[in-house]
Amino acid sequence: MFGRVFSRLLHAAAVLLGVSVAVFFLVRLGGDPTGLFLPPDAAPADLAAFRHAMGFDQPWPVQLGQFLWAGLHGDFGQSLRYGQPAMRLVLERLPATVELSAVALVLSVLVSVPVAIVAAQNRGRAFDRAGLLATLAGQSFPAFWLAIMLILVFSEWLGVLPPSGRQGWRSLVLPAISLAAYSTAIITRLLRSNMIEVLQSNHVRTAHAKGLPHGSVIWRHVLRNAAIPTVTVIGLQVGGLLGGAVITEQIFAWPGMGQLAIQAISNRDFAVVQAFVLTMAVVIVAVNLLVDLTYALLDPRLRRM
Amino acid sequence: MLTRRTLMPMAAGTMAAATMAAATMVLSRAHAAAPAQVVVAQGADAYTMDPGRHSVFPTANVLFQIYDALITIDPAGGFRPALALAWSNPDPLTWRFRLRPNVRFHNGEPFDAHAVKASFDRVLDPAFRAPYYSRISAIGTVAVIDPLTVEFRTAKPYPTMLFSLYEASFPALITPPAYLAQKGPDALAAAPVGTGPYRFVEWRRDDRIVLEANPDYWGGAPAIPSAVFRPIKETRTRIAELRSGGVQLAVDIPPEDIAGLDGGATRIANIASDFLYFFAFDTLKPSPLTDRRVRQAINHAVDVAAIQKALLGGLGTRTALALPANAFGYDPAWTPYPYDPARAKALLAEAGFADGFTIPMIGRQGRYLKDREIMEATAGFLRRVGIRVQAQYLEAGVWEQLSERKAREGIMFPGWSGRDPDLVWFPLLRSGQYQSYYANPALDLLLDEGRATLDPERRREIYRQAAAIIKEDAPHLPMLQPPLIYGMASRLRWQPRTDSIIDLRGARYA
Repeated sequence: MFGRVFSRLLHAAAVLLGVSVAVFFLVRLGGDPTGLFLPPDAAPADLAAFRHAMGFDQPWPVQLGQFLWAGLHGDFGQSLRYGQPAMRLVLERLPATVELSAVALVLSVLVSVPVAIVAAQNRGRAFDRAGLLATLAGQSFPAFWLAIMLILVFSEWLGVLPPSGRQGWRSLVLPAISLAAYSTAIITRLLRSNMIEVLQSNHVRTAHAKGLPHGSVIWRHVLRNAAIPTVTVIGLQVGGLLGGAVITEQIFAWPGMGQLAIQAISNRDFAVVQAFVLTMAVVIVAVNLLVDLTYALLDPRLRRM
Repeated sequence: MLTRRTLMPMAAGTMAAATMAAATMVLSRAHAAAPAQVVVAQGADAYTMDPGRHSVFPTANVLFQIYDALITIDPAGGFRPALALAWSNPDPLTWRFRLRPNVRFHNGEPFDAHAVKASFDRVLDPAFRAPYYSRISAIGTVAVIDPLTVEFRTAKPYPTMLFSLYEASFPALITPPAYLAQKGPDALAAAPVGTGPYRFVEWRRDDRIVLEANPDYWGGAPAIPSAVFRPIKETRTRIAELRSGGVQLAVDIPPEDIAGLDGGATRIANIASDFLYFFAFDTLKPSPLTDRRVRQAINHAVDVAAIQKALLGGLGTRTALALPANAFGYDPAWTPYPYDPARAKALLAEAGFADGFTIPMIGRQGRYLKDREIMEATAGFLRRVGIRVQAQYLEAGVWEQLSERKAREGIMFPGWSGRDPDLVWFPLLRSGQYQSYYANPALDLLLDEGRATLDPERRREIYRQAAAIIKEDAPHLPMLQPPLIYGMASRLRWQPRTDSIIDLRGARYA
């Protein structure tokens, strides 16, 4: 178990290094931010002086070395636009993003698990079909479209929920629903089909045959077995939710990391993009680690490995 | 394809009529009370509260409520006193400003000549690296003559000095020297102190900036007690906030939404901006564009009025040359080349291109209102006279790189602004300037002279001659000044400005 955790941590460090190098090159592909930052009538000499002062005229390997060395010391550079440490800008906005993603995840699980359980046991009946239709819709509606529809109905027509901002729980409702729609659909479909499979297996028939109450069979023998692949997907959904939050934050003007990142990308604010991607990578790696450990809790066979 | 319009009823299908009635009540309640605040929705949050440290209008719009400049501008485009009461030129290299007495910063610090000098010395220091340094770099020194008199000196006569000193020259806002000395620049960047009509209260990053009225403002306390700036990038969300009463002023409304917002609880304000839409021709590298007749033909071939009507709802101002109609020296009697495709074809034939030719067209997309659509429409008109365009829509960063290497080519859609010929024609048409793809010694002489002359009458005459050359030689296809379109609560009284700076000084509710 310990060895397993240790090897996973090593793996995580390698992933973070790879992500750092990749994002370093990717943000620089479209050129440096000098021309965007200075006014259009700035003279070439002004541009050159600025570029030199910022170190953008150094060869890439030198810049990469400086970036990695500083990063090892916890310095992720200054934002060009904000004139503040990039990591501080990202971490300031992390709570808002985590709040939105966590609420969306909880919402997904709270909706999808009961729906899947009921649907699996009523396969082919009206509830199951309605559920399938709803999950199909949830998976196929583009998030931005759903977001705009929610705003139209609940803010513009009904006037019951604010369309944007982060002031109290009411402003969280629409972004959380629009972000949760996709993962709710995925989890519901997966858990439903896993349960149907398990329901047909021998040990369930045996459990029923030896007279265990129906509820106990479902909870102890079906759900627990169907949960293992589902937990993997829920773990993967965390990455999806954080990524999806970028669009959701933009539409609902939610003051999280996603909004910051989009602006930083269009401004070529290198340090902020790097800090954002690294933070995302850390969160996703950590969640995956957590998912691995959760398996062990769900499946005793894995504890011995 | 399902459009928003067809989907709305579908989405609403399940909604009961009773709920709709309740909604109407909620909405009408929201609009009933006169708000004690004005909430402004822009596309982006401020980057900093330090006026010397940014280069974008959304930040400038916030800062102009907190800070003042020495001078400001009136709706007609004339310069008016702000922190300075009067100005004069004792000699062509000196600008003397008499300052407004008894003005205090929000922290009680007095405003005086020393504050003006300290403000400019700070941002003129090359080590400070103000992004908008080029706008103020002609200022050589700032000297305190007495507590209420300052002198700005320049190395060469600088006729556009006043444009460098009003609020759209971002680093020209006056900052408090004692506050900066005691608390440092980081304090100013986070908790600004100015002389303006609103005082800083709170900044929740990417969410809202809250300001409160300064009752002691030298220009009179603002009528609305509180001003809030919110960043809402998504256009649909800005409009939804405006409709549901969460926002009273929203920027950048698309022309197609005007009809839906102009009436009832909301209305539309629009004004032609100082910005210029025009095409520039690369006349330096070998191509058909080096022939004047080809450039004139392009001017005849494109129906700019039709483009303006179709894409911008007829808003904005058509310009005869690449110069805003509200710029110094612009003569309303000037006319653009008339739309005349037959004449265009004749000119092309005369130039030896009876069968037309193929030429690159480069520009950026999504940078300006309807930029790509305008390029596409123009390409369509050119195709009708036989000019085949290979359009490239570049990323902003790639465009900047091309510009720096002076590697733009063919027909370009650059965008520019400036309310003086020296701010537009000198950088774009003076030979050797890095944004210039044109060379004409006769025009160079005039542009150089206009740049070195302070006397407005003499300058007007110089630019009248320059305009005649530019019209005839057609280095550009002038188009229009695009509109700035705002959505507002219908009870709000507020005027948009051509330079796109939002000024809440005169805003009030009816």
